[in-house]
Amino acid sequence: MRGRAGHVGTGRIGLRHIGLSALIGIPLIGALLLTIGIGLFWMPYDPIAIDLAHPLGAPALRHWFGTDQFGRDVLSRSMLGARISVLIALATVVVAITVGTALGLLAGYLRGWTDRLLMMITDAVLAFPGILLALALIAVLGSSDGSIILALSTAYTPSVVRVVRATVLSIREREFIEASRSAGDSSLQTISRHILPNVLPPVVVLATSLFGWAMLSESALSFLGVGVPPPAPTWGNMLSESRPYMDIAGWLSIVPGLCIAGTLLGVNLLGDALRDWLDPRRQT
Amino acid sequence: MARSAHLAHVLGTLAVSGALALGCVCSQAVTAGTMLRARFKSDIVSTNPGTRRDENTDAVLLHVVEGLVASREDGSPAPMLASRWTVSADGRVYTFTLRPDVVFHNGAPLTAAEVIWSLQRYLKPETRWRCFAEFGEHGIAQVLSITAPDPHTVVIALDRAAPMFLTTLMRADCGGTGILHPDSVDADGQWRAPIGTGPFEMGEWRHNQFIELNRFARYSPLPGARDGNAGGKHALVDHVRFLIIPDSSAARAALIRGSLDVLDNLAASELTGIRGRPDLRLERVPILDCYALLIQTHDPLLSDVRLRKAIALTIDTAGLTKAITWGTGTADNSPIPVASPFYGSVEAPLRQPNLAQARRLLSAAGYDGQAIQLTTSRRDPQMFDAAVVIQAMAAQAGIHLDIDTVDWPAHLSRYTVGTYQLMMQSFSARLDPTLSFGIFIGDKREEPRKVWDTPHSRELLKRTMTSADPAVRQVVFDELTRNFVDEVPAVALFSSSRLSAVRSNVTGYRNWSAAQQRLWGVGLN
Amino acid sequence: MLSYILKRLALTLPTLSLVSIAVFLLIRLIPGDPALVLLGEGADAAALAGLRADLGLDRPLPLQFVSWLQHALRGDLGRSIVSGEPVAGLILQRFGLTAVVVLIAVTAATVIAAIAGLLAAWRRNSVIDLAVVGTATVVLAIPSFWLGLLLLLLFGLKLGWLPFVGYIPFSESALQAMLFLVLPVVTLTITESGVLTRMMRSSSIDVLHLDYVTHARAKGLPERTVLVRHVFPNAFAPTLTLVGLTLGHLLGGIAVIETVFTLPGLGRLMVDSVLARDYPVVQGCLLFTAFVYVLVNLVVDLCYPFFDPRVTAR
Repeated sequence: MRGRAGHVGTGRIGLRHIGLSALIGIPLIGALLLTIGIGLFWMPYDPIAIDLAHPLGAPALRHWFGTDQFGRDVLSRSMLGARISVLIALATVVVAITVGTALGLLAGYLRGWTDRLLMMITDAVLAFPGILLALALIAVLGSSDGSIILALSTAYTPSVVRVVRATVLSIREREFIEASRSAGDSSLQTISRHILPNVLPPVVVLATSLFGWAMLSESALSFLGVGVPPPAPTWGNMLSESRPYMDIAGWLSIVPGLCIAGTLLGVNLLGDALRDWLDPRRQT
Repeated sequence: MARSAHLAHVLGTLAVSGALALGCVCSQAVTAGTMLRARFKSDIVSTNPGTRRDENTDAVLLHVVEGLVASREDGSPAPMLASRWTVSADGRVYTFTLRPDVVFHNGAPLTAAEVIWSLQRYLKPETRWRCFAEFGEHGIAQVLSITAPDPHTVVIALDRAAPMFLTTLMRADCGGTGILHPDSVDADGQWRAPIGTGPFEMGEWRHNQFIELNRFARYSPLPGARDGNAGGKHALVDHVRFLIIPDSSAARAALIRGSLDVLDNLAASELTGIRGRPDLRLERVPILDCYALLIQTHDPLLSDVRLRKAIALTIDTAGLTKAITWGTGTADNSPIPVASPFYGSVEAPLRQPNLAQARRLLSAAGYDGQAIQLTTSRRDPQMFDAAVVIQAMAAQAGIHLDIDTVDWPAHLSRYTVGTYQLMMQSFSARLDPTLSFGIFIGDKREEPRKVWDTPHSRELLKRTMTSADPAVRQVVFDELTRNFVDEVPAVALFSSSRLSAVRSNVTGYRNWSAAQQRLWGVGLN
Repeated sequence: MLSYILKRLALTLPTLSLVSIAVFLLIRLIPGDPALVLLGEGADAAALAGLRADLGLDRPLPLQFVSWLQHALRGDLGRSIVSGEPVAGLILQRFGLTAVVVLIAVTAATVIAAIAGLLAAWRRNSVIDLAVVGTATVVLAIPSFWLGLLLLLLFGLKLGWLPFVGYIPFSESALQAMLFLVLPVVTLTITESGVLTRMMRSSSIDVLHLDYVTHARAKGLPERTVLVRHVFPNAFAPTLTLVGLTLGHLLGGIAVIETVFTLPGLGRLMVDSVLARDYPVVQGCLLFTAFVYVLVNLVVDLCYPFFDPRVTAR
């Protein structure tokens, strides 16, 4: 599963590139949000209504993206899929960031046995191949949106813990922390007033990368057959279900893949722009 | 070490290890002689007939072992290792006369001694023979003795008359009660390899890649044409190799490119890619399987027959069957498969969908839109698709079904224990309607997987086992079918066809109603 | 050096133990009975109980774990429930194929990344830079299995240049076998080169601004020497770390590519054995994978000083 090592700082781009990143990224994300927004109120057809008389229809005026093996409209399913895929990725990020930051702060600030225990657990989870961990958790909890979110968050939380802990370690020895402690602030105050603001930038950057990884992983899990259960569409399970019909209904494979790639491209580009904007030191 | 030299060193090591890895996988030379290549979706599970098995395992082993009797296409028993048999007047004693010219793969002749050894081995609990329970307390009969008055006669005495005795012996899932030579096990009784009498002998089993069978030169076929598992079985090629190709598009492509000769068990949706190609030939055979929607009648909601009937009334069986099987299957609301000789005028009528009546029944039953869980699995695409379609159809009458997709072990588990509300399930070919109804009928306290738990149905099922007269049995089957449709412990949906594609130079390949690949009588031009 | 290696390996023991216990419990929590899967629907209770006893599944859990651990420490990972094959041999065989694909692909991706990243950093903000960063960013966004499917569709089906079938063992025909690996390796190379290229470019930009590079240039050294002897080794170090992490995560992540191309590799073995509840195989795979992950990280850490003289092995 991509991204579990928490590798973040790979995207140094210059000022000129920020402009370009934003120029391409914003329309892509904009299109995504627009699709989801429209989809909340209207879709060309009911995404789960079957029409057994017209299976595997090629893209045409009636169905812009064609129909699948049950005659369901691919465009409508893609729109609903956008909502579901994005929600799952978003929820995963929220859970992983929240839990990971809390644990990372604990480990980095308290050190000692707490740190060693947390790091041992983190390393153990990281040593698990991500796919297997998610597969096993989903099999135990049953296929549902909630279990997928839980499985993905569990796989990605260690990355957050490591990044947060590393940041805390690097700043906890600085003078203003010492000053704060000697002034009599409690640990909680020290953390919230001084450490947390400094931890936020790398966490925000990590969150944007995490979103992309979570979306990729959800589609990979759906592809393996353990994703969101039918008849709810996600781009991943649409891709998975398109396989037997690859040679006679290619559009079923192309449409969801383009949706995923387009969304990820937009998210990555915006993430790059955000990263460079937040960290002016890195610009040259 | 200088940096660049070190880098070169690392790269060199990588290259050598890569070459070694490649080399390690290289080994033997290619086999000589004609080879017919067929395909399985998954690997077989053992070479021990009738014990650990699945359909593919049964199919392979039935090339290697043979029983006293074998099944014809119509499900009746035919001579195989026994040239003929007589049954005593009270129906308890079977006397089999063995064929004199049969030889095992290791050269030893077939005599009554080996038959007795094989049968007694199956009847030992440690062998874990699938049909062991049939000869226990709750089975068809118990075996009192197996004796050999002379080296070519075997006498089996049962404790009561059992018209289903020969049918049970023939069952593919019990390895056809294949007669094995004692050298098939070692001195401690541990399984070695199947030494049988079949037209092929066991060759190499390379796990998850292929299973190879080799022609047995000293096989003496019965006269006559191939008929089910009986009749003349001629090995027309030197080797048969069953390749394990899990992915259907890969298998199809292999067939088109000529890396595969016989592709059995195509999904209906794959036909469009194959039809019309001059180098391929399509075969289609209706089989004796059954796809059904099982209903847990102990569930508080579903114990009400009105709700069950309502669900059944939303299903357009003909439309569903046509869509899911792409027209290759046949809609069937009776557990008796369409290809069975017992499928008649009572079994043929289909329940017509009636949404208005369904809604009336729903309100009478007090159904308030509660979610009902429908369990299915991706293992069989038709099983999966049927669940999706049923959910959509039921929704038209306001029935709210939630599909719960689980993987195969979980699905099997739920099925066996009965922890589901609705479950889409497919049942492999049963050669006799007693076995078909036996899927559904039983005592839930002892076998939770049986959905039809009424004393009357159990009584009727027993009656089908006590007579050998087809006319008598037909009457009972008809009554069972009528009750099945009225009481709705499950909804039978369709029986499918086995679709196969072979390359045009392959002669004689035909699957049959038992849905079992047979590669005897199949040749290469 | 040796003591350092041993110490590092020893430190991983608690993690490995935790992983073993976790996977042991987790896999048994999943509903489903391997004995039932083996015997199929319609098997009676007595046969099931007998098979479970044969497989040792009826013993109390702690006893099963201790027994497995004792055997594992001696190198005996047990036998697969589904096929009866020895687990250790099965894992090594599958790993062989996975390792070939992963190593070739990651090596190729690293080479591409090293050259492209360095070039892009050297010619910063030029058209070359834009092309490299643009391509790498787009590649990052493409799901690997979709790329694989598309390549399969194009080269396997429409053009017919490359074979479609999953895998022919090398014993049949070495040339044919290698053809089957072309598409998976190409897919993986493309997929992994994105993030490696960006990392290489990023660290190259850093190094190009360091004093000693300016120094070397001022000394009059040809630009090529400056790039190859001074910039590259130091810029490569972080990328090397990333390569190590990538190798580690691919051990599991490769399952998706193996599914697309139906390769009998380690990734698919893991997924298939979880789906079949083949407990010994799952446990064996996990242990093996965790061990390889640790080993790869160790090797990368050891290689690090060769590239970055500022870092010394403790």
